[in-house]
Amino acid sequence: MTRVNPELLEEIRKYGAFDISACFNCGNCTAVCPLAKEDASFPRRLIRCGQVGLEDKIISAVEPWHCYYCGECSQTCPREASPGEYMMALRRYLIARYDITGISKIFYKNSYLQISLAAGLFAALVVLFNRYTGDFGALAAKIEMAFPVYVTLALGGYVLNMYRHIIVKPLGKIALTFKPKHIYETFYHGFTQANFTGCEETDWWRWISHLLVMSGYTLTLLISNLHLLEPLNERYTPFGPVSLLVWYAGLSIIIGGGSMSLRRVFKRRESSKFSHPSDWLFVTMLFLIGLSTLATHFTNVAYGPENPLLAQLYRINIAIETVWIILIVPFTKWIHIFFRPLAIYFQHIKKEAEAGTAFSL
Amino acid sequence: MEENIKDEAAKDNYRQAPKTAVYVCHCGGNISDVVDVKKVAAEMARYPGVAVAREYAFMCSSNGQDLIIDDIKKLGVNRVVVAACSPSLHELTFRGVLQRAGINPYLYEHVNIREQVSWVHKADHEGATAKAVKLTQAGVEKVLRQDPLNAIRVAAEPRVAVIGGGAAGMKAALAAAGKGLEAVIIEKAPRLGGKLLELGKVYPSGEQASSVLKKFEDLVAAEKLITVHTGAEIDFVGGFVGNFKINFKKSDGGMAQIKAGAVIMATGFEHYKPHKGEFGFGEAANVVTLPDLITLLKNSPAGRLEYAGKEIKSLALIHCVGSRQIEGVNQPQADGKVNDYCSRVCCTSALYTANQVKEKYPAVQIYDIYRDIRTYGMRHEDYYEKASKDGVIFFRHAETDQPIVESARVAHTVKVKDVLTWNEELEIKADLLVLVTGMMPSDIKFLASQMKLAVGADRFLQEVHPKLRPVEAANSGIFIAGTAQAPMDLTETAAAAATAAAKAAILLAEPDIPLEPFVAVVDEAKCTGCGLCPAECSYEGALMMTEKNGKKLAQVNPALCKGCGACVAVCPVRAIDVAGWTLDQFDAMVDAIGKEG
Repeated sequence: MTRVNPELLEEIRKYGAFDISACFNCGNCTAVCPLAKEDASFPRRLIRCGQVGLEDKIISAVEPWHCYYCGECSQTCPREASPGEYMMALRRYLIARYDITGISKIFYKNSYLQISLAAGLFAALVVLFNRYTGDFGALAAKIEMAFPVYVTLALGGYVLNMYRHIIVKPLGKIALTFKPKHIYETFYHGFTQANFTGCEETDWWRWISHLLVMSGYTLTLLISNLHLLEPLNERYTPFGPVSLLVWYAGLSIIIGGGSMSLRRVFKRRESSKFSHPSDWLFVTMLFLIGLSTLATHFTNVAYGPENPLLAQLYRINIAIETVWIILIVPFTKWIHIFFRPLAIYFQHIKKEAEAGTAFSL
Repeated sequence: MEENIKDEAAKDNYRQAPKTAVYVCHCGGNISDVVDVKKVAAEMARYPGVAVAREYAFMCSSNGQDLIIDDIKKLGVNRVVVAACSPSLHELTFRGVLQRAGINPYLYEHVNIREQVSWVHKADHEGATAKAVKLTQAGVEKVLRQDPLNAIRVAAEPRVAVIGGGAAGMKAALAAAGKGLEAVIIEKAPRLGGKLLELGKVYPSGEQASSVLKKFEDLVAAEKLITVHTGAEIDFVGGFVGNFKINFKKSDGGMAQIKAGAVIMATGFEHYKPHKGEFGFGEAANVVTLPDLITLLKNSPAGRLEYAGKEIKSLALIHCVGSRQIEGVNQPQADGKVNDYCSRVCCTSALYTANQVKEKYPAVQIYDIYRDIRTYGMRHEDYYEKASKDGVIFFRHAETDQPIVESARVAHTVKVKDVLTWNEELEIKADLLVLVTGMMPSDIKFLASQMKLAVGADRFLQEVHPKLRPVEAANSGIFIAGTAQAPMDLTETAAAAATAAAKAAILLAEPDIPLEPFVAVVDEAKCTGCGLCPAECSYEGALMMTEKNGKKLAQVNPALCKGCGACVAVCPVRAIDVAGWTLDQFDAMVDAIGKEG
């Protein structure tokens, strides 16, 4: 017996521009959704759970992470309830719920706080770095080396919480799967975002933009977290292996991020009709990371490590990366990238648990 | 008009020797694909008493009709048999043909060789043809013995009595008066209005029912042709079409009688009253019906929805209370029957009311628990959509999984096995429980028995045919307006009432009313006055014993007789016949069919 709770929908409503109260359960969204294959309940089931406020069912759902917001459900909905946008809001809501610090929730509801904090931190860092009289290259190395530790700590909480809500609570036990196929699929989907192509009319440009951003961004992360670049100490050749990585990473982010921003400006597609301030912060920051990384590396390649402009650019680059790692990565939008493959993995665990083949404690 | 026959011509035909023409219709291929129509025509041409026999593709077409008219005019044919489709389809068509050709329209016989022959004997062409011949021969025998008949005309009171002074009654009276007919409203309550007195805002106009009522009352008061009797208690209704008599006790205690040519039944409905304990009704506090909520909404102060002094923050509507009941699940009414019909208007009314609650008190949470939502009317779906968009949460249960109400001191918990949530058992907490009750007809047992009205299994008054004669009772001269007939909303009630008034006005447009001549006729020479026949007659006053020149005789009132023939069957001396269907005719038909060869 579950208690109906209309307040849950009021809460989720704060995370997006949808109107699922209008839903009269016709199921058109499910009929057109390329993800609703086996049990034909997505996205209708989660919409109904939202309407009547079945919190347990929503918080244990992996489906929102499979959805790439092709928008066909929203176009088909006879009540204009925007189920696609509801899924988007659910993803934001779930991030807020899985965040043990509670900061994502605050940022989502007060996006301007996150934006002002980011701007403030950036300004403070630039001032601090400029006043720093020591070896900035060595300081940057230390800062970059601290990134993986911080990110691991921050994201670890999410993983545990998500795992607790999706696996432990509904199944009543700890379960895992080690099948190579499942692990491969998790990584494969994580990197290729192949589910995108499941949409009826594949929006190839959106998929390519996503892929460019994903790969470029992952590379940037590797480059900085492994501290592959020391632009103040070393001059790089334009077509050396490290340079090629940087060119690709920077350009991918700029092209992909730029195209995504343009789509949000022109709002031609369902998926880009509604933009949360956190979306804007995300694409802007991505763009700035790509731009500052490219500018730094270009100056190094063109004018050498001693160039005074390079010293300035590198400080800005590190300041942006620091803001990104501290304020953006562990909260709000970025978590999507992280949760999508995790959801695929958890889905496999659930299926195996149902079949009785999961490794469990 | 069909009944408007030239008596001279009719008499002439009667004096002439019978000259019968037979026409066999192909009905496209409907008949001729199975029945050998040429053979039937040839056989009929040889049959005694038949002057001419023809076959034709479509007798009902204008060419087919002209064939008959030509034969009547040129060959002097004075009796006609058409072997074709069902008489219910084209008998009147061919009677009209005879009339246009100047002979009595009743000197006609329609033989059905489609439904009774070609359609049912598809595999046996020879047998079908033989059967068609036999039936047509029987038709010839009947028409040879047919007397020319004339429509019966009864003088009519140029006045319509409207029983019931609610929306239907007032609208019917106004519509009748608009056509120049005198109308008398007889209302048992002390004032006009009926259920309009209870309602709040009414869809689709959003007017207050009180202002609609005011408009109706003003129009009725201004109309000189309308007389109103309120507080009237009817204790007798008698008579027949054109001559009804209604006796009633007036509000002042005196008696009065209305004579009317037609009666409009506008007796309305009553709300279903939940029995004690039905969803907590009558036991737990804060369980009300939809009409109660409507009243509450009319009187509740702005800013705070209150019931019995307590603020209502959430309310749950349960649909189909007293409607679409299931035998064995729901408690039956006093007559042992459950209300298995849908009351139609309650879904729309409930949603319209929910929207008003949301408008006046946006913070009130509304839960709507239904089996099916039936917002069938023009744009009624908008109310459903609005309710949904405004956050009314809907739950749907299967007919066998009724919601269960558990009432605590302060609030109710409704348990629903919700079809929309994959049959999940859900618990809904609500401060106020609103039972969306259906409609039942007003208690008109007395009137129904006095007037011998047909009442359906659902206790509503029944029309003759839902499409062909939608507001007519089986008894001539009685019409039904509004919810006496079925659950309707105000818009539909007004339309039905206006239709009933129009039918009454048509009926009473002339000073006398034509009736079918197929009524019982007593042969006074043969009648022994035994008195068996009146006991068999089901139509009060149609057949009575009387004395004429010191002899006891049966006497028929043609205005009341329905021509059923029950009296004919009991008469030991064959003194009664139904005109147009005499025993002699039947004898001859049976002989013709039974004859060898």
